[in-house]
Amino acid sequence: MTPHRPDAGLTAWMCAALLLCAAGAGVPHAKAQQVSVDDAAQAYRQIRIEVDYAPAETIAGFEIWYAGQAFESTGEAELHSTIRVADTSALARGPEDVLFDRCWSDGLPIHRDAAGSPVVDPDASNWSCALSGMTPGAEQWIAVVPVGADGAPLVDTESLQPVVGRTEVPDERTPPPDTRPVLYALSLVVLSTVALLLFLRRQDARQGRSKSRLAHVYVAPALIALATLTFYPILYGIWLAFTNADQSRLGDEAWIGLANFATVFAGPGVWRVTLFTFVWAVSNVLAHVALGLALAVALDRRGLRGRMVYRTILLLPWAIPGYISVLAWNGMLQPDGLVNGLLGTAIDFFDGAGSARTVVILVNIWLGVPFMMMVFSGALQALPSSMYEVAEIDGVSRWNQFRHLTLPNLKGTLVPVSLLGFIWTFNSFNTIYLLTRGNPYSGFGEPGATDTLITHVFAVAFEYGQYGVAAAWSVLIFLVLIGFSWAYLKRTRAMEAVA
Amino acid sequence: MNGNTHNSADGGQGSATLAERWYVPVEIRALRVWLPFAALVNLLILAGEALRGNGAEQLGVLGAIVLLLILRASLPDGRQRWRRYAGQGLAAAILVLGLLSLLRRDATFYDLWATSWLVVPSALALYWMSAGLSGSWCAGAQDAGAAELGLARNRSLAPRFEAFALHTFLIHAVALVVAPVIWIVDVSISPGNILGGAIFDAFTLEHFRAVLGGEAFWLWTRNSLVVALGTTLVGLLLAIPAGYAFSRYQFAGRKGAMFVFMLIQMFPGIIILVPYFMVMKTLGLLNTSLGLIVAYSVTALPLCVWMLKGFFDAVPRALEEAALLDGCNRVEVFFFVVLPLSLPAVAITALFSFLTAWNEFLLALVFNTSNDAYTLPVGLASMIPATGQLWGDFAAASIVVSIPVVILFVLFQRSLIQGMSSGAVKG
Repeated sequence: MTPHRPDAGLTAWMCAALLLCAAGAGVPHAKAQQVSVDDAAQAYRQIRIEVDYAPAETIAGFEIWYAGQAFESTGEAELHSTIRVADTSALARGPEDVLFDRCWSDGLPIHRDAAGSPVVDPDASNWSCALSGMTPGAEQWIAVVPVGADGAPLVDTESLQPVVGRTEVPDERTPPPDTRPVLYALSLVVLSTVALLLFLRRQDARQGRSKSRLAHVYVAPALIALATLTFYPILYGIWLAFTNADQSRLGDEAWIGLANFATVFAGPGVWRVTLFTFVWAVSNVLAHVALGLALAVALDRRGLRGRMVYRTILLLPWAIPGYISVLAWNGMLQPDGLVNGLLGTAIDFFDGAGSARTVVILVNIWLGVPFMMMVFSGALQALPSSMYEVAEIDGVSRWNQFRHLTLPNLKGTLVPVSLLGFIWTFNSFNTIYLLTRGNPYSGFGEPGATDTLITHVFAVAFEYGQYGVAAAWSVLIFLVLIGFSWAYLKRTRAMEAVA
Repeated sequence: MNGNTHNSADGGQGSATLAERWYVPVEIRALRVWLPFAALVNLLILAGEALRGNGAEQLGVLGAIVLLLILRASLPDGRQRWRRYAGQGLAAAILVLGLLSLLRRDATFYDLWATSWLVVPSALALYWMSAGLSGSWCAGAQDAGAAELGLARNRSLAPRFEAFALHTFLIHAVALVVAPVIWIVDVSISPGNILGGAIFDAFTLEHFRAVLGGEAFWLWTRNSLVVALGTTLVGLLLAIPAGYAFSRYQFAGRKGAMFVFMLIQMFPGIIILVPYFMVMKTLGLLNTSLGLIVAYSVTALPLCVWMLKGFFDAVPRALEEAALLDGCNRVEVFFFVVLPLSLPAVAITALFSFLTAWNEFLLALVFNTSNDAYTLPVGLASMIPATGQLWGDFAAASIVVSIPVVILFVLFQRSLIQGMSSGAVKG
């Protein structure tokens, strides 16, 4: 389903004045009425009609009917709007700057009643309206039907003679943005990366490592790609954080200093969402590690029957695409879903803040356990079985074997993998977005009850369109994560591997 | 390490033999571990009853938890006879509670499971404290010979008890894991969009027909395939040389570059999402496969480089040196010696980047606003908006999408996990 776009070739073409009269032919009660289309007043998705008629006591209002094809009876058309005929002496003329359904009488904005509906004076003999919601570039048939005080039409609604109008103002298309700044910036990034590599290569040559001449060439493509598509966006994002970039501004954002950061910290619920993010990450990691370790130890048992079957089944939450399992849990947790069916209840788990938070955490625990299980399984297999055999002979209980043999030996895996799990959970988006979208809702611009920093930034950027504020959030998250990543990298053997 | 010496601390038993002091029937030892677990599970059941708002049942379960813990504390120790009677009384009380709740509850799957966690442990406890060898041990009526016999019996029975406990634990885990899978299969073959109700009570292929007969699904599949294959190709072209260089050469900036590759993985996509989006919008790459290919191949790049470095490290250098001596140049060595040897590793890396791109949701959601450009994740998620949810069609499409992915994953799980952990965990 592509949205209808008018043919570009037609956009400049103005349709000839299609002016048909419905000059009261066969109208028994009302006097002559003339509807015309004002082509000079074309507007986007609007057709302006002017109605001239002889005022009459019997007329209590007008109905405007329209359709995308010719029609004679109101049954084939749709009611667009109505205009009431009433004493306007106590009413004010409506504001000029409304966008939709603008109407005029006597060349001035029409009177409007308390509800905002247009009203025309009984003495008036003409009014006009810009009918909104008209498909651009397509003919629209429009008929005006006067109605009496009882709402019954004063003309024969089976033999209408609608006028035809069209608006040629095309669907708005923003002009193609200026790509030059982006391209300049990207080339600059590429060139500086290449320069850096050349410099490093010269250093190598100076130190006499001629064997590794090719190394920089091998690394170059990956490094350039990383520079253009990761470093550059990060720098651009930092710049955006200090600008007023939003949905309506693209490429012409302006420096506004720390205002976005002020918005972030002044916003309601900042600390609540930060706290929940940490609660979310910590509780998930604790459960992932505990359950993953328990399952890994259980599967590691010698002589366990059906180990491969268990292993394969328990891997499923990792193997099944994450978005599918999350959406499946979404369905299972609905009031008429499987979970409620099993319990014999009809609870809306996503309704209350507390239950929604519990549920998103539980579902994410379900998703993350297999990874930990596999990591610990690998680590357990690396432990020498003779160690356990000796413990067995000495009559050490299972629990003490676990506490004093398994756990200390797994520490080298446990700590980095927990930190990594923390970072991953902190960064995770799908579970919350696909389960609750951050709801229960707590107010416009405010993080919802289940929003984490990540999903909230998404909402700020792509639901509220405040790119600058979102970038400011991102910079803050970036700073937090640098800390954790540093801790992680210190803890892993990564640095040793590099050395 | 005094795990087995529960009775030895008592000085009054000095005259007893070692076997007598050490011997605790395997049944009692099992109960010591199992009863707290039963109490823990009943705590979860208590939460379930709280959700149901079932006051009487909550009280019953709460009472049972307390009784289970008391029973655990007062398990017989082979000397004090009253403990055996107390234990039997407590177990009988829990059994009665369980049977009563079995009578009160409906015979649904959940209720049967919940009561079984009262009935089974208490019945086992009652039986073990009353019957056979452990019965006489509990009663304090056994001599050294019986204790020796009992120790031998423990040795042969303990693995079975352990296996029973492990299988109980694993079967519960399996049930939790499999539940969504069964649910999806059930929804996909049930008429309409019913989310609950009986499992496998109806059969229709209407959802599969609707999904596979429709245009959208194949369009999304095509987009996903183009994006995933493109990502794999571009990602490998970038990652293979880099991984090889990191594995084989010492060069200026190596340490810094590897550190950067590691660090980049730690950052959430959301940080670069806004600038990414604006760059893509400016360059007109929104709603195109190219935009996603470019984004994915770079986001998967660091892990791919680390995976490949780990794999290349495993290829012996001696082979390359031999080839160099035979007159090959460095490029030839790479293409004719290293690459063929590490082809399985390259395949695993390719599979990894393919799966990453195939399953990615966030970037695809932001970059694709038009239905025609959706990839499968975004398309499938779009079937479940706030209103008018097509659960049946979604379930059918999910099954079609998941099956190949799950099969690939299960087939290559070992290598995938090994590769991933070399990149992410071990370093």
